Amino acid sequence: MFRTASVIRLHTQQRFNTFVLPFIILAIAFAVVLAIGVIANLSVDDPSQLDGMHEGMRWNGAVWSVLGPLMGFGFTAMLQIFPLSLGLGITRREFAAGTLAVFGIIAALFTTAITVLKSIEQATDGFGLRIRMFDVVYVGMGDWWQTAVQTFLLLLMAMFLGAAVSTVYLRWGQRGLWISLTSLALVPFLVVSIAFVVPGMMEQVFIAVGSVPWIGWMGIVALIGALAAGAWVLLIRRAPVR
Amino acid sequence: MTAVIETTSLSKHYPKGVRALDDVSIALEPNRIHALLGRNGAGKTTLMQLLTGQLVATSGDMRVLGDHPFENAQVLSQTCFIQESQKYPDGFRAQDVLAVARTLHPQWDEDLERQLIADFRLPTDRQIKKLSRGQLSAIGIVVGLASRAPVTFFDEPYLGLDAVARQLFYDHLLADFAEHPRTILLSTHLIDEVANLLEHVVVIDEGRVLIDADADELRGRAYDVSGRVDAVTAYVAGREVVAQQRMGGLANATVIGPIDAAARAELDAADLTTSPVSLQALVVHLTRTPELAAASR
Repeated sequence: MFRTASVIRLHTQQRFNTFVLPFIILAIAFAVVLAIGVIANLSVDDPSQLDGMHEGMRWNGAVWSVLGPLMGFGFTAMLQIFPLSLGLGITRREFAAGTLAVFGIIAALFTTAITVLKSIEQATDGFGLRIRMFDVVYVGMGDWWQTAVQTFLLLLMAMFLGAAVSTVYLRWGQRGLWISLTSLALVPFLVVSIAFVVPGMMEQVFIAVGSVPWIGWMGIVALIGALAAGAWVLLIRRAPVR
Repeated sequence: MTAVIETTSLSKHYPKGVRALDDVSIALEPNRIHALLGRNGAGKTTLMQLLTGQLVATSGDMRVLGDHPFENAQVLSQTCFIQESQKYPDGFRAQDVLAVARTLHPQWDEDLERQLIADFRLPTDRQIKKLSRGQLSAIGIVVGLASRAPVTFFDEPYLGLDAVARQLFYDHLLADFAEHPRTILLSTHLIDEVANLLEHVVVIDEGRVLIDADADELRGRAYDVSGRVDAVTAYVAGREVVAQQRMGGLANATVIGPIDAAARAELDAADLTTSPVSLQALVVHLTRTPELAAASR
């Protein structure tokens, strides 16, 4: 057990980088969005003129400033922490258990932060400026619990995907990486290609995608995350150190 | 005595016919300092990586402390592997590595850790990527020695270290080994520098074991002869010579084989003097002539 705790410690040894830096990046992105909100509010005579901005900012990607780097956590875990862990005598099983715990902790921490910030944003009508940074499509626009579920699943999925892809690289090198990524990209590529060629199919694809309910999307995200996690756990069992 | 590290026909092959390790069978006794020698790419690091569960063997068997080391926490918690090519995460400082290493080795000695940090002048609060090659090696040495792991693997532990720091490593290793005997497997190219530390030597070449012998027995396989040029030339005629040097009217030759009674009589009659051979010269020679190494095993 204490050896698994050592893995958690390895992942989180740099507390500033793991827990503080993402919030600083978030704060900078938030400051930019606030500045845009202030400028927009100063430049209109009637607050109703901000309705368009308020609606359009549903697609504001500023939240990715914190989600993006966190998604890289899976890559770092395998490419940087894994070699040192094995060098220190930790088994792959212990590493996987510790890493799994860290993924869960990080996903929970940032989910909490984003859910709280989203609730504040909703309660204050966009921090009094009608802006959106957290009440956006990427992390859910429904109730607070939907944002919590969506953010948590999204982060876990991204970290597992990063870990799985990095482990493919450790097992089979660059060639294995490109073959697996190309194979994975082939499915959506074929769907889009066929949709282009067959008359009327593109429209049907859009309708089908648009009709998937929120719970359906969450199922897809959870499924991709589970598949990535399964692949990662299977591959790490014999992954060498590079 | 029961071997603490044992391999039987251990092999590690890669695609395109690369045989990093081929049919390696060795048995290393506990509480001794063993050397793992060989040229670059000979298979030394591969063997250590297999023994510490970092790689999966293609075939054969291995035992460390009586058990298979792969994914064996019981075994790995009693080993420490310091490798020359160890990578550290971006932003890590030596103190970050030491903080975790301390928790993983039950026999860790914090006083020794502090002593080593001071002796090697290791800046523990500086980012590792900003350290020199020698300081990077010093991190491994601190971990390897302070861990007091019952089985410690040092793979080229002092790359980039200056002569003073290397001597410090030898001194600390010997002193701590004397007080806390354990099994050390040390791979190095600086054979003569560590010759006095070694008790047993394994030489690997192209993935195969070339020499597996006690250091003293190995040193007894050859000797240096010096004296007048004509006397040395006459003595070495018909004998296997590793190296020969001439300086004015004097010559020196390294000769393979034990000094038996007949040879001793010949040496005395020719007024030739003998001295122990350099382990490095002998290993270099045996590596160049594998058939001789095989014959003398």
